[in-house]
Amino acid sequence: MSPRPLSASTLWRVFGRSLFIQAGFNTESLQTLGLVYALEPALKELYPSPDAEQAALQRHLTTTFNTHPYVSAAIVGGILFHEQRLASGDEGPEAVAKFKSTLMGPLAALGDGFFWLSLRPAVGALSAALVPVISAWAVPVYLLLYNLVHFTARGRLFTLGLKYGDGLVQRLEAVRVKQYGERLRQLAAACAGGLGASIALSFGLQQRDLAGLELTLGCAAAGAFAAFLAERRVSPYIMLYAIAAAAMVAGLLST
Amino acid sequence: MVVWWHALLTALWGGLMALERRAFLQAMISRPLVAGAGTGFLLDDVQTGLYVGVVFELLHLGGVSLGGSHAHHETLPAIAAAAMASAMGNATGSDGTPAMWSLSILIFAPSGWLGRRLETRLDLRARKYVGRARDATNLQEFRRAARQNLRAMWPQFVFYGVLSGFACLLGYAAAPLEQVIPLGVLRGLAWAYPAMSVVAAAIAVQGSRASGRSLIASVSAVVVSVVAFVTWYRSTL
Repeated sequence: MSPRPLSASTLWRVFGRSLFIQAGFNTESLQTLGLVYALEPALKELYPSPDAEQAALQRHLTTTFNTHPYVSAAIVGGILFHEQRLASGDEGPEAVAKFKSTLMGPLAALGDGFFWLSLRPAVGALSAALVPVISAWAVPVYLLLYNLVHFTARGRLFTLGLKYGDGLVQRLEAVRVKQYGERLRQLAAACAGGLGASIALSFGLQQRDLAGLELTLGCAAAGAFAAFLAERRVSPYIMLYAIAAAAMVAGLLST
Repeated sequence: MVVWWHALLTALWGGLMALERRAFLQAMISRPLVAGAGTGFLLDDVQTGLYVGVVFELLHLGGVSLGGSHAHHETLPAIAAAAMASAMGNATGSDGTPAMWSLSILIFAPSGWLGRRLETRLDLRARKYVGRARDATNLQEFRRAARQNLRAMWPQFVFYGVLSGFACLLGYAAAPLEQVIPLGVLRGLAWAYPAMSVVAAAIAVQGSRASGRSLIASVSAVVVSVVAFVTWYRSTL
């Protein structure tokens, strides 16, 4: 029997609702409420009988779900892949449970590594570095660069899951995420270093006197020392307050 | 004069950004650079919001929530500090100054920790919606079961919104300080802004987790310094 198809409007609704996957995040079931919220329109369409729909909802509500919010689109798509086959009698409920439990961990690691630890720092640092150059235009640059990748990935992952189910793993292996990630992290480091120097110089040069030179050199020394301390896991707050205190002492002494 | 609708707008913006960060979309509108600039825009001082946002963007660049654990909240301090600095500027009839930026950053930097504590408490509180969803499913009220997901957003919106609105009011209340603070301290606060930015940049380099990050950042800093100095020198000739 062929899998029971879902209408395009239902698929759009599920995708739209998957953007709320973390809304009901809690310490007991993590993202389970968000998953159920996303799947509900599809389960309603696949299971016209209330008893069958109840069983389907309970299937997802009674298990814990947690993954990276962006890559959850792939799992939501994959769950629909399996639920369509389950509704037409081609599979048992264990297939969808296995798919979910097998993939949510590895996909979370993939999403965390690429989006949270690579893309976000890179785009954040690049946009911050652009502030002295293009001022507030750095904000649309940030949103455009990041979301071009973000929404493309979410949409693509959803369709991959929907189309290939468990086969999406092979498709994802072809993407060299690890290699891109390292380059993005290096970009973040370069932008942060450049921005630090740019701010120290621009504020110092504005003063056009000896105090300006002292400010620039002081900032450079503080930056180098902070980099040393940061590598030794000294609290960022301690460093922030210490340098502010030093600046205020310098301000008082210069009067 | 306190502009109450500024506080209201900031509260709404702060609540929405808390939701964007956590519950819906996560398109990075709630990142410090964007949310800070947005706060400045709402309070008629984009530059203040932008420069306050830069510091928090760098400071929290390496922060990441993994699994069920939370990183320090980066949105709350950015919005609160941007709101306070912009409101101080408004109250004194000018744009925010680097001294105001520094003061606001120093006051609200620890709210990242507070935001994380609050987030953890709200996660605990949200457990009750799981039970409600299960009860509704047992009663075959499927729509109600699914909607429990959305109910958990209200406390986030309210708590973070109230804190953001409070920061705006604090800015108006603290504006007279500029007249009272000794000149030396004001100068020190103004100098503290670039110093804190550079320290935040150094923290961001470490937060990038890139291999060879210290070397990359140092080379980049030297290149930028040379270019900036040459540009400045030519402009003075």
